Amino acid sequence: MENFKIIVFLCNWGPHTAYHDLQDKEYGVPSEIKMVRIPCTGRISKALLFKAFEMGADGVALVGCKSGTCRYGSGTENAAMNTEDTKDILELLGLGNDRMRFSTFLPDETNSLKRFLEDFCSNVKKLGPSPIKPSREDRISAVPPKNMREIVKEHNVFACQDCGKCTSSCPLALSGKQYSPRAIAASIIAEEMDSDEVQKDVWSCLTCGTCYERCPSDVNFPSFIRDVRGCLSDNGYNECHQTHGGFFQSLMRAMTFSELKSQKWNNLPGDIKIDPKSKILFFGGCAPYFDVFFRNHRGIKTSNILMDSLRLLNFFDIQPAILNNERCCGHDLLWSGDRKSFLKLAKLTVESIHDLGIEEVITSCPECFKTISSDYEANGIKLNFKVTHMYEFLENEIDKAAVSFDGLDRHITYQDSCRLARHGKIKDFPRKLIRRLQPESFTEMMDSGNAALCCGNCAWTGCDSFSKALQSKRIRQAHSTGSDLLVTSCPKCQIHLRCAMEDPFLGKEFMMEMQDLTSIIAKTICWD
Amino acid sequence: MAEKRETIRQGVIITGFGGQGIVLAGRILGMAAALGDHKESTLVQSYGPESRGGACCAQVIISNNVIQYPYVAMPDVLVCMSHSAYEKYKDQLKPDGVLLTDKDLVRPDEKRDYFSIPATRMAEELGRKMMANIIMLGFTTAITSLVSVESAKEAVTSSVPKGTEEKNIIAFTKGYDYGLSKIKGREKKVIGRAGAIS
Ligand code: SF4
Ligand code: SF4
Ligand code: SF4
Repeated sequence: MENFKIIVFLCNWGPHTAYHDLQDKEYGVPSEIKMVRIPCTGRISKALLFKAFEMGADGVALVGCKSGTCRYGSGTENAAMNTEDTKDILELLGLGNDRMRFSTFLPDETNSLKRFLEDFCSNVKKLGPSPIKPSREDRISAVPPKNMREIVKEHNVFACQDCGKCTSSCPLALSGKQYSPRAIAASIIAEEMDSDEVQKDVWSCLTCGTCYERCPSDVNFPSFIRDVRGCLSDNGYNECHQTHGGFFQSLMRAMTFSELKSQKWNNLPGDIKIDPKSKILFFGGCAPYFDVFFRNHRGIKTSNILMDSLRLLNFFDIQPAILNNERCCGHDLLWSGDRKSFLKLAKLTVESIHDLGIEEVITSCPECFKTISSDYEANGIKLNFKVTHMYEFLENEIDKAAVSFDGLDRHITYQDSCRLARHGKIKDFPRKLIRRLQPESFTEMMDSGNAALCCGNCAWTGCDSFSKALQSKRIRQAHSTGSDLLVTSCPKCQIHLRCAMEDPFLGKEFMMEMQDLTSIIAKTICWD
Repeated sequence: MAEKRETIRQGVIITGFGGQGIVLAGRILGMAAALGDHKESTLVQSYGPESRGGACCAQVIISNNVIQYPYVAMPDVLVCMSHSAYEKYKDQLKPDGVLLTDKDLVRPDEKRDYFSIPATRMAEELGRKMMANIIMLGFTTAITSLVSVESAKEAVTSSVPKGTEEKNIIAFTKGYDYGLSKIKGREKKVIGRAGAIS
């Protein structure tokens, strides 16, 4: 007999009175139900709701006060929105939105609460146990931990000349933060593990690679930080440094369970043609999840990039295969220190690509590109296929095709993505493509290409007020080119920059329209 | 025996400024037909003041029978690499003839269908403006059935200066691929899929 685990977050006020009443009447609450008493449903974030699933819950209910009776005013509405988003994400993930429910009760609605609990319980049982089954061992690293000495040696940090070029080029330091890569390196070499440099600053680095471009000793600071994080994480997940309550790390860790069958590609628009037997695979990335998570805040629609990529492949007569149970490539887990879950994702992903006999993987996501094309092999996972970024594919196709572009009467500037420009060395393809579009004007920002400023966050780790300062600086740079359209290459650049633009203190003029390059090409390209 | 075959005879006029390599393009086309495809071909080239920058013209005839008269009065294929040359020859083109132009240098009248390629721009991108004629030749090979692609490539290799063969084949292939893509694009337009988003 399966032991079901159902978590009920129960608000202290209205429904708890009803629950208490049930207990007084000696009603036996189903044994599967683990009740967690909370002060207000509005404070149960998406991250907390999802965390329960990551930890193996088969169902989660959020039970609050009837609308209008919330002691704090907006709790019920917040809870309704959070549950809705989480449910949609559960659905995309393939866990099913029925595993989560939100309901509200007045203090005297004892019987309806009883019916609700019974009904939810029997429903979850019908759905069967959750495919996410973390075991205790999962929490303990199976990957042999590297110690700091080895990491320092591997990345040749001893070669640091203490010249300070890194600190003077680091966008975080330049935005006013008390932060110095050189000092981090020095503290780690001196094994001062309890210093602020190690405990805090390691988690602030954007791993953007600007300093690596400048370092005379060729210290690859981003990879160094990545491994240091991995090492620190072996003693726990370091969730306190994760943004949005660690929601995305939880989500991505949930994807490491092989029984999970993602529904991400359901409901593809009818005009898009897919061929399961194709030797070319399109790898989409996590944009659809981001869109749901941020929909109430930023009106982000980054999954359009995936659809437009598929349309462009179709335009050039390629009907690609897709992975029906596509998972996260693992980028964010790798860069936020969870190397073990990264490896799980990487193995599952590569296995399913190999199973399809794929020869070439095309992706439009800079992070998926960087991760699959270089980090998999660096972590000992062999690939039998090549990885191409969408821009390279497009430039090569357009170069030999009789196509033209509908006029783009916009003044544009371009945001390099760290993963594409500095890590992936893809700077020229997007620029060639932009010129082909023949916009009214194309003006580079003050810092561009190798020197481009980061969008302000990487791997959902360490976002703070200095990230905001950095983003504001970047957006000001974009404005001062005189452009009216900021062209982006990474879905996350759009998300993070949009977040900064919505700062109420900076006013409406701070807003700038953003569009993804792939989407612009898809909208304007036509046969000649 | 040969005389009994139905004669398939195609007249081609290639025209542009002097210095664009018009005559060379005509010669390669004729050579491809004669040496590669084993047909008959003739070339009449205009010399004189024209080859120093004015309108320049190569007349090529390709036929499966002996050619009695080498001048082309009404071409089946007209290749124009300058607007003035286009103005001069456009009315001679047969009503069902094929017009090929350099996209950036010729602005044809709306009333007739034509195939254009930015040959000069593409040659500039390849780093050699002089190769626009070879790109145009590749394009012509793809759009028309004048000569086979293998023969055309062989004729290019044997006609261009030593040491530039590879570059010229790249140029030829660029024009040829563009031509194939043009035909594909037309088919897509016919079925109403001109863009990526329908
Ligand atoms: S730039 Fe390189 S050598 Fe200079 S302080 Fe930074 S890590 Fe050390
Ligand atoms: S990787 Fe970027 S954020 Fe990190 S220390 Fe270097 S320049 Fe600063
Ligand atoms: S910039 Fe905004 S969206 Fe990005 S991590 Fe920070 S808070 Fe989240």
